[in-house]
Parts: sequence; structure tokens; C-alpha cells
Amino acid sequence: MPPKRLMAAALVAAAVVSCPVHAQTPSGDDLESIRRQLQELKQTYETRIQALEARLKAAEEASRHAERSAAQAQTRAENAEVAAAQAQPQPVQAQPNKLNPAISLILNGTWGRYGHDPSSRVTGFAASGGEVSPPRGASLGESELAMSGNVDPFFRGSFRASLAPEGGISVEEAFFETLALGNGFTIKGGRFFSGLGYQNAVHPHAWDFADASLVQRVFLGTNYGDDGIQLRYLPPLPVYLQLGAEIGRGRTFAGVGDVTRNPEGNGRGSEVFFAHLGDDIGDSHSYQVGVSHLRQESGTQGVSLFDYDDLTGVTNLFSGTQHITGVDFVYKWAPEGNPVYRNFKFATEWFQRRLDGRFAFDTRGINSVDGFQARQSGWYAQAVYQFMPYWRTGLRFDRLSAGSVALHANAANLTPPAFDPRRWSVMVDWSPSEFSRVRLQYNRDETRENAATGAALTDNQIFLQYVYSLGAHGAHKF
Amino acid sequence: MKKMPKLFLVALLALWGPLAHATVRVFACEPEWGALVKEIAGDRATVYVATTAMQDVHRIQARPSLIARARSADLVVCTGAELEIGWIPMVRSQSGNERIQLGKPGYLEVASFVPRIEVPTVVDRALGDMHPQGNPHIQFGPRQMQLAAVEVEKRLAQVDPAGEQDYRTRLADFTRRWKDATARWATLGAPLKGVGVIQYHKNFSYLFDFLGMRETGTLEPKPGVEPTSSHLNELITQQKTDPARMVIRSSYHAEGPAQWLASRIGVPSIMLPATVGGTPGAKDLFGLYDDSIRRMLDALKQGG
Repeated sequence: MPPKRLMAAALVAAAVVSCPVHAQTPSGDDLESIRRQLQELKQTYETRIQALEARLKAAEEASRHAERSAAQAQTRAENAEVAAAQAQPQPVQAQPNKLNPAISLILNGTWGRYGHDPSSRVTGFAASGGEVSPPRGASLGESELAMSGNVDPFFRGSFRASLAPEGGISVEEAFFETLALGNGFTIKGGRFFSGLGYQNAVHPHAWDFADASLVQRVFLGTNYGDDGIQLRYLPPLPVYLQLGAEIGRGRTFAGVGDVTRNPEGNGRGSEVFFAHLGDDIGDSHSYQVGVSHLRQESGTQGVSLFDYDDLTGVTNLFSGTQHITGVDFVYKWAPEGNPVYRNFKFATEWFQRRLDGRFAFDTRGINSVDGFQARQSGWYAQAVYQFMPYWRTGLRFDRLSAGSVALHANAANLTPPAFDPRRWSVMVDWSPSEFSRVRLQYNRDETRENAATGAALTDNQIFLQYVYSLGAHGAHKF
Repeated sequence: MKKMPKLFLVALLALWGPLAHATVRVFACEPEWGALVKEIAGDRATVYVATTAMQDVHRIQARPSLIARARSADLVVCTGAELEIGWIPMVRSQSGNERIQLGKPGYLEVASFVPRIEVPTVVDRALGDMHPQGNPHIQFGPRQMQLAAVEVEKRLAQVDPAGEQDYRTRLADFTRRWKDATARWATLGAPLKGVGVIQYHKNFSYLFDFLGMRETGTLEPKPGVEPTSSHLNELITQQKTDPARMVIRSSYHAEGPAQWLASRIGVPSIMLPATVGGTPGAKDLFGLYDDSIRRMLDALKQGG
């Protein structure tokens, strides 16, 4: 029995024993009062014993905790010496800039050499103007300023602005993302690069080549993104399966350019669905495959199809629906999963674009309106090999297929080009750290048709590029 | 598209049964934390280890497999001190798992709970791959490992209160064995006291600190920067005034530069396990220390 309980029992016993000593001449009333007093005493002590038992239980609980922290206390004491030597207090978890968001700045620039005018567009495809090739000679690229951090226990925020060398700031991404939904669900909202395909969400500074693939450039406007909301779900599987859906305003008509007039339907102008599946094969290999689909409405106001403008010098408008369907595959290898000395990466993506709607030819002049259908596709395949620390080399092939374009009545006014653009790219880059990269690239560009001969206009392009990242450590995206 | 949800439900139901768990699912960023969790949790936990002793943990990518494993984890145990800064934040934000977010009991950065050495006074990227919170390779500090065990037990009890008693008992047992082993290692490693060594990267600083060894230099001119010939030549010159008795590299480093330097300065070049699993002897945490100390003692004898 614990000592406190023993003492309490002794007190009760003493009280009971001492009572008869005082009751020397007991009367009936006295006896009754003694009984009552005894009863009271008994009750008092019982409650006190109960209270003591409760305290005892609490003390036992505390001692159990003490037992657990004993090991901790012991080692802590042993470590006092080390801790003392360490002048700074221990920061709790990694948080750059204390409570400020993590800030990073990307600097990049290019020296370009072209055989032909770099501003002319890929023949037969309505190019975006989102990513144009760097100008001839030395030029500053877009500087990127990014900030990100946790808002609170429930949300994360991220902001990325692009500062154009000629002035002006554009918001590339600015979104929130949920942290606390759980069960594999995440919601992202605001402006963000779409999760469709593989390369689309990769920012230019993290590209493996100085320029985007042709298919990404002409169908997705380099990095397709919208203002809207994204839902992602990861089912509880032993392999990676990501399912995603996006709904947006339809800020840009992918691959064509900005939609200046809002489409109808209160701005639900675009939908994206994507699924990615990925895993490791042993320690050295990993892969990811994906399928994506984008659907967009131009609204009845229509959008200019730039390429046809280039050909005719008149203003044309397309209104209708665009479907972009894509398949992507990525494979990576590093000996025993350690990419430091050698590693290899292969990526390929195929996209098909279908346009279905109405086409108005020469809106300011004859304004001939009739149906319009187009089905075009393109793909690239690229391989990048790091053959020694810091040094990588890469090869890429790009191909676009003019496909079929049905102009109906407007066929009398316009002949769509039947030209399949292609391009070969070779690059070598040197990255003495994760934060810097210098790259030399050669493109054999056959993306434009020589209008006179109908053959490809071969352009030998050379780029020398630098990319520097300052500030917060970037993410090692797969 | 409309048939998808139904198909999914069926697939989910089929898979959910076998996946339904009775144990705590732990995602360990490095093998040492996997081994420590096994010590404290025994069969109560199923442990997935994200990296191996053959990989430079600084350079891992947020691979799909890692995101998939983090998605269902009850507890993520990482080193912290920015060792995994390139990939773990992305793995967490992509996982859709609220239990492993920053500030939750299910996310543990061990380095935040142990004293760290080599805390830089000046932090600048010009000095290489900096860890502002000090050397993150804490697995080689016996005291650090003991404190880590206490924190791991606490977190396990938080995410799995039913196992509290088990964890406490196992922690007490581990603490006793670890204390004995620590005393044994101090005796075993006594001949290494004061011995000068060159290491590839600061992987073993905590072990040198524990055994009273002296690091005379690193093969890397700056943390995370590969050895250069000019820097190796400096180390050769320095050997005359501040001699090293061996050149040590970890299981994930290239042998070439270490071998080259060792032959030039006439000392043995040895490989130590970067963590559990780095050598056949480093089967668990105890083996990691035993094997590492033995390898250094052998090199000392070999060097004469």
C-alpha cells in the first residue's frame, strides 16, 4: 500500500478508537451524536481518501511520463557540452527567411546566331507569340522572381513573375494550394501552369534545351496556364497514380494567343483532364507515363489565327472549340539511383490538336464565313545524358504534321500549307552547381517553308545561354 | 470520362482490403531513420526507406514513387537541416497527405532535436552547398542518435497511441543497448584518438568528433563541389605540415579522387558506409558504427 493511503487509514482508525475514550457517560442523545460524528468523520475521510487516491493516480501518471523523459534527460545532460559549444539556438524545422516566403530570382540571357529572320513563324501552325526565339546577338531573357511559402497550416502560396527585358511584368503563376485536405486530395487555385503533359509545367530555366519543343510551342503556347482551379487526387496505391482536373476561364486560346474578349458561359472557357502513372524499377530506373486532354471554347467573338494572317495580310477570326490530346512518357536512369556522376533522361510527348468551328476570312473586307475543321499533330523525343559531374549533352528531334484543314467555302480564298516542319537540336551544358548553368546549343531548324520552292528553309541556329538561380533552393522535380 | 469514377471505386475497393493497415506506415528519408524506427517500433511499423547508402541524399529528385509512398504515410522521418530541401518539400506538397505536413506530429526532422556541429557563422552560396543549421550527417553521432530515438518514440506514440507502451519499452531497451555500445565504441576506437584524416565530404564529422579524431581536410574544395586538381595538390602540400593517416570516402562517393590522393601521400584509402546498408557489415545502426570503426582501425594498422 502506498504511504499516503496508509496514513489516511491510520487517521481514521485513530479517530474511531479515540471516540469512546471521551464518551465516559454515554446517554442515548450522546450515543446518537457520537454515531453522527463518526459517520461524518467517516465520510470526510472517505472523500479525502478518494481525493488522495486521485492525486496518487495523477502522480503515477506523471512518473510514467518522467520515466519516458528520463532517457531524454540523461542524454540531454550528456549533450550539454555540445549544446553549449553551439552558440545559436536550434531553429525549429527548416524555414528560409524565418516567416518570410522563400524568395528566388532567375537570371538568364542568350547569344543567338540565325541564318534567317528569327521572328517569322512556324509554317502552317498558329503560333502563340508566347515564346518567340531569342533575338539575334546578345539578349537578356526574361528574369523570373518567385516567392513561396506556407500561408498557415491549411494553405501554401506561390507567386512567380516574369520581368521582360524591354520592361513590364507579367504574372506567370500566382496560386494557393491546400495542405490539409488529406486523403490524397489537393486543390490549387489562381493562375498556374496546367498539369497536362510532362514539360508544360516546367519553367523555362529548368528546361533541358535553350528553347521549348515545337509541339509545346505551337499547341500549348510554351507553358499553357489558365486562371482557374485544379483538383488532384492520388489514390492509395503502391504505385504513383495522379488524376487531375482543371476548370478555367479560358484566358488564352492554347497555341493561338490571348483571348481578348471573354467567352460566353460566365467564363468557363477551358477544361483539362490528366492522369499520370509512375514508379521505380529497382534502384536505378524510374518512369512516368501520362495522358491529358484540354478542351477550350473560343466564344462567338473568335480568335485570330495568326498564321493565316501572315499568309494573307488580312484579319481572320476563328470561333469554336479546340481539343488538345496528349500522351507523355519519361524515363530516367542513374546508377544505383545516384545521379551525381552519371545519369540519363529520356522524354517524349505527342499532342494532337483539333479545331472545330467557324472561320471568318478577311473580317474587314469580304468577311466570308463558313465552317472550319483542322486536325494537326506533333511530337518530340529528347535524350539528355550526364557523362561526368557537371557536364551533360542532349539530343532532341521535333516533328509537326500539317494534318488536314477543311476550309469549306473559304478554300477559295486560302490554301492551307501542306508542310511538315521539323527540327534537330544538340546541346552541351555545364552546371558547376545546382544554381548555375551555361549551355551551348545547335538547332538545324526546318520549321518554315520556302514559299518560292515549297521546300524547307534550313536555318542553322546557335545559342549560347546562361541560367542562374539565386536565393531559395529550388525543387528537384522529376 | 463519365465511367471513370465508377471504375475507380471498384479498383479502390479491390485494393483497399489488402492495404488496410494495422501497423504504422513510416516513410524514412534515409536508411538510418528506417533502422531507428525498426528499433523503436518493431513489428508495429512497416517502414519504407526512400534512399540508399549508395545515393547522395542532397541530390534526390521528387520521383513519382516517393510521392506515392508519402501519400499513405502516417509518419515521415527525415534528417532535416536542409539535407532533403531539394525534394522533401515537393514530395510533401504533392502527396495530398495532411498528416505529414510541417508542424504535424507525422513529420519529423530529426536534426531539429539534436545538437549539431559545424554550424557556419557565415552563410553564402559562394562557400558551396551550405547548411545554415550545421552538419546534417548526424547519424554518426552516438548522442545524436540517442536523442533521435527519444523523439522518434514520442512521434510514434503520437501517431499510434495504442502502441505507447510498446514503444516505451523498446526505447528503454534500445537506450540500454545503445549506451553499452557507445561505451564499447569509445574503447574500441581509442587508438584512433588524435588521428588525422581526410574525408571526401563532411559525412563522418560526428564520428570523428566522438572518437576525438582530427579532420585535416576534405577532398571537396567546398561542400558539394567535386574535387579539383588544384585543391588535391593543396592537400598534398598540407600533408607535410598536418599529416593525415588515411583518406576516407563514403559508399556513394567516387573512388578515383580518393585513391589518387591516398597514393600520392602514401596512406590507405578506405570506404565507410554512408549509412545503414552501405557495407555488408552495416546491417543496422550498431553494425554501422562497428563496421566504420573497424575499417578505420584496419586502415590505421595497414598504414603502420
